[in-house]
Amino acid sequence: MVKVDKRKLYHLDWYLIINGLALFAIGIMNLVSATSSFYSGSYNFIIKQLIALAIGIVIISIIINFDYRAIAANAKLFYFLSLVSIVLVLVWGMAAGGARRWISIFGISFQPSEFIKPVMVFMLAYLLHEKKRDKILLGLKDILIPLAWVVVPVVFIVFQPDLGTGVIIFLVFLAMIWFVGLKKSTYATLLSAGIVLPLIAWQYVLRPYQKQRIYTFLNIDSDPLGVGYHTKQAIIAVGSGKFFGKGYLQGTQHKLQFIPEHHTDFIYTVFAEEWGFFGSILFFLLFITFINRCMKISQQAYDELGSIIAFGLGSIIFFQFAINVLMNIHLAPVVGIPLPFISYGGSSLISVLISVGLLLNINMRRYMF
Amino acid sequence: MKKKKDNHSTNDMFYAEPRGTEYEKVMKEKTVPDKYKWCKWVLIMTMIVLSIRLWHLQIMQGNEMRQQSEMNRIRIKKVLAPRGIMFDRMGKILADTRPSFNLYITPEDIKDFNQTVDGLSGLMGIDREEIIEKLKAASNFPSSFPVKIKDDVTMDELAKVEANRVYLPGVSIQIEPKRNYPYGKVLAHTLGYVSEISSEELKEEKYRTYSPGDYIGKYGLERMYEDYLRGIDGEKRVEVDAMGREVRTLEMKDPIPGSNMYLNINLDVQMVVEKALEGKRGGCIALEPKTGAVIALASRPAFDPNKFASGITKKDWQAIALDSTHPLQNRVIQGRYPPGSTFKILTALKALEDGLINANTSYGCRGGFPFGNRIFKCWKKGGHGTVNVHRGIVESCDVFFYNIGLRLGVDRIHSFGTSVGLGKPSGIDLPSEARGLLPSTEWKRKTQGVPWYEGETVSVAIGQGAVWLTPVQLVQLSSFVANEGITFKPQIVSKIIGPDGKTQKIFEPVVTADIKMKKQVFTIVKEGMQGVVNERSGTAYGSRIENVHMSGKTGTAQTTPVKGRDLGDHAWFIAYAPSEDPAVAISVLIEYGGHGSSEAAPVAKAISESLLTVKPEIKEAMVRGQGR
Repeated sequence: MVKVDKRKLYHLDWYLIINGLALFAIGIMNLVSATSSFYSGSYNFIIKQLIALAIGIVIISIIINFDYRAIAANAKLFYFLSLVSIVLVLVWGMAAGGARRWISIFGISFQPSEFIKPVMVFMLAYLLHEKKRDKILLGLKDILIPLAWVVVPVVFIVFQPDLGTGVIIFLVFLAMIWFVGLKKSTYATLLSAGIVLPLIAWQYVLRPYQKQRIYTFLNIDSDPLGVGYHTKQAIIAVGSGKFFGKGYLQGTQHKLQFIPEHHTDFIYTVFAEEWGFFGSILFFLLFITFINRCMKISQQAYDELGSIIAFGLGSIIFFQFAINVLMNIHLAPVVGIPLPFISYGGSSLISVLISVGLLLNINMRRYMF
Repeated sequence: MKKKKDNHSTNDMFYAEPRGTEYEKVMKEKTVPDKYKWCKWVLIMTMIVLSIRLWHLQIMQGNEMRQQSEMNRIRIKKVLAPRGIMFDRMGKILADTRPSFNLYITPEDIKDFNQTVDGLSGLMGIDREEIIEKLKAASNFPSSFPVKIKDDVTMDELAKVEANRVYLPGVSIQIEPKRNYPYGKVLAHTLGYVSEISSEELKEEKYRTYSPGDYIGKYGLERMYEDYLRGIDGEKRVEVDAMGREVRTLEMKDPIPGSNMYLNINLDVQMVVEKALEGKRGGCIALEPKTGAVIALASRPAFDPNKFASGITKKDWQAIALDSTHPLQNRVIQGRYPPGSTFKILTALKALEDGLINANTSYGCRGGFPFGNRIFKCWKKGGHGTVNVHRGIVESCDVFFYNIGLRLGVDRIHSFGTSVGLGKPSGIDLPSEARGLLPSTEWKRKTQGVPWYEGETVSVAIGQGAVWLTPVQLVQLSSFVANEGITFKPQIVSKIIGPDGKTQKIFEPVVTADIKMKKQVFTIVKEGMQGVVNERSGTAYGSRIENVHMSGKTGTAQTTPVKGRDLGDHAWFIAYAPSEDPAVAISVLIEYGGHGSSEAAPVAKAISESLLTVKPEIKEAMVRGQGR
């Protein structure tokens, strides 16, 4: 184990840490309100979330000891470990609401598909970086192999079914190949695939309930008692917050149980109802600055590998944030994607903290001593 | 800088090939920087899109949305599914549901707490404290959750509340199905009762589909077949006004009623049993030996299950729970008693089967049996003289059975008894059946660590000592003789029919013991049991029935004094009738009743009479197997 150089610790990105902690603090405060109407009260939710934070911090302090290049060199090992855990979920995972997403070890259940996200970024960064060794722009041939590495876990995840995580991983993949640079002809090919593949997915991959959500997205009133009803209630919750919100713990929409999953996927509605437009804008700015900081770390990274990794990790946060909020305000169809730092869920929080640890890692090593 | 980096690569085995070369710096500058500009633009665009949408929702539509959320008084209300109905074998209703008016308070709709609570307290005569206590107990639930204040309000009370509704915001009355047992205490232990689910139960995984205030089967068949009886609650989405009154129903998902259960119980016979046991403590079960179908099952003292169904008061509950006579105990399946002389049937069967004795083997009885340093007495002081197995059973001679019991040994009695079904649950479809106890040398070594004494075998042979059996186990012994070696699992329910009229489950007879034995053995024992009732010297001659032959065996089981007080003997009678072609097997126990012949046998007589003579159509139906 490499002893961490004091100079490296000095280069911990405190800006990223404080921004992240601010988001987490808002998340906890909001979770208290979101879970206050549950029979069991907020207490258990908050404790679990704080335990996840503690675990995440321990993991961060371990991660920053290893040079990110060493981690990337072993990306395949982590990749296969994650893949095995995802296959295990399909075999003996715990079902909840028709989906098998959780696995339980010693009574602690976790969601492997959350953890594969940062692993996937490392894997892709490693592969793309290899390809890029002596080229300026990548061709179609160069991205086929990375694509194969992406498709295998995504297929397993989509069949859990956890469409949300599958979508995130795929979007991160697209962002990363864009980031390393593609030939013009390759962009053209991808664009045409982008038209054909969704049609195939519609026909063969999507489950009826997933299709229903897309129909519902297009016409809320077609489903006045199911997802459409809930979406409508989510909009009412957000809209009723007006400029300054109803005040902390005063949201009625979630307390009256009008909104499902209001402590996980729809947690933003709780915040928007209670803090209004004013609070929401500040809330978004915290996310935007956080993601911007990720990009800055990417830009300042010592080498290209670090840049690619930091960009990939930042884009995970970005896509989760954007899609989650968009579906909360009815600008995207409903898929299960947690809001980083804010949604209830240990696996999700720890996964985000792993990304934070890796970003700190890259930032620490931007000057090579 | 270069130097340091080289240092790194040699130190660290994990290290990827060093890439921080000048070449790479150049590459980075060439390709990547323009991407960051794009990233910034994407972030700015995201912020703009989100802000515009929020502006639209929260500022432009804000007032309208706020109003909608405030007017959003659409409530999702549960529509309780009526529980399945229970019928007896003739189609008479034993348990059904009736509408009841229940009073609720929805805390969120209360405008002025004191006005509502005081007003209600004054109108209904409910203690103010009691109302507040109930509301407090539900303080963990959302304030839109209606809290039940009183079950079953009367028509007068209902009229008062309705007339004063305007002054009582938050108060509502719901019509809900309530369990009803038209015959009250009759069959109480069999049917069981329903009661509100407890907060402890709610925490259990198996009850996760229940919510507070739900009723759940807690005892007897209600508990055993909860999943069938419960049905599926419906849901309605209703709009309520500021007073919490339902304005209109927007959407209704009808509840699916629970499945109906048809029991093997014959209510007419059950009534006879209940009457015969009135004022006594004990239990009685009657079943068809050829199928195991339970015709009647009663335990005394009993309780009124209706009390539980309409929300039992603390006082009533304590009265039942603390009653020293244990009215909640089903003595037929949970009461463990020494079987006394009824057990001699088992001893006789095994001794004959193993060839230790035959019909003519005789022992002399002078009123006692010296063994070791004590004398085991016969109940008849002067003794029976020379006794063979027939007289042994008919006159219940203890000395005869001391002799053959000793020759058999306890382990043979144990293994045979176990295979007949004694000392283990009969499998009757009621929860919490007791095992009872049939001792063996191994049992004693294991539990008490001391060897078995032969003297104990002497007691066991006549059903005393460490033998503890339940009435349902002894009715199986009676069936075993009646069927000549076969017993069936006692079954109370014959079939379950879904609300759609489709049969969900039919309970076919299940064989629990099938032992091949010599025909002669049963002939001898059956003649003995017939003699008990029909021979002048028989111990149950007083309970003989005209026109029908009943066979049986009395038992008078000695008890150990409780707190130094001798409470008397338990009275037993096991029987089957008619002797020639048994249609019913019976077991009767009267706790501290005294003699089996005088106390228990008349109950069996009443049952047999009602079944076989008084109501010939019942017999007809039973023989043809109708009603199943």
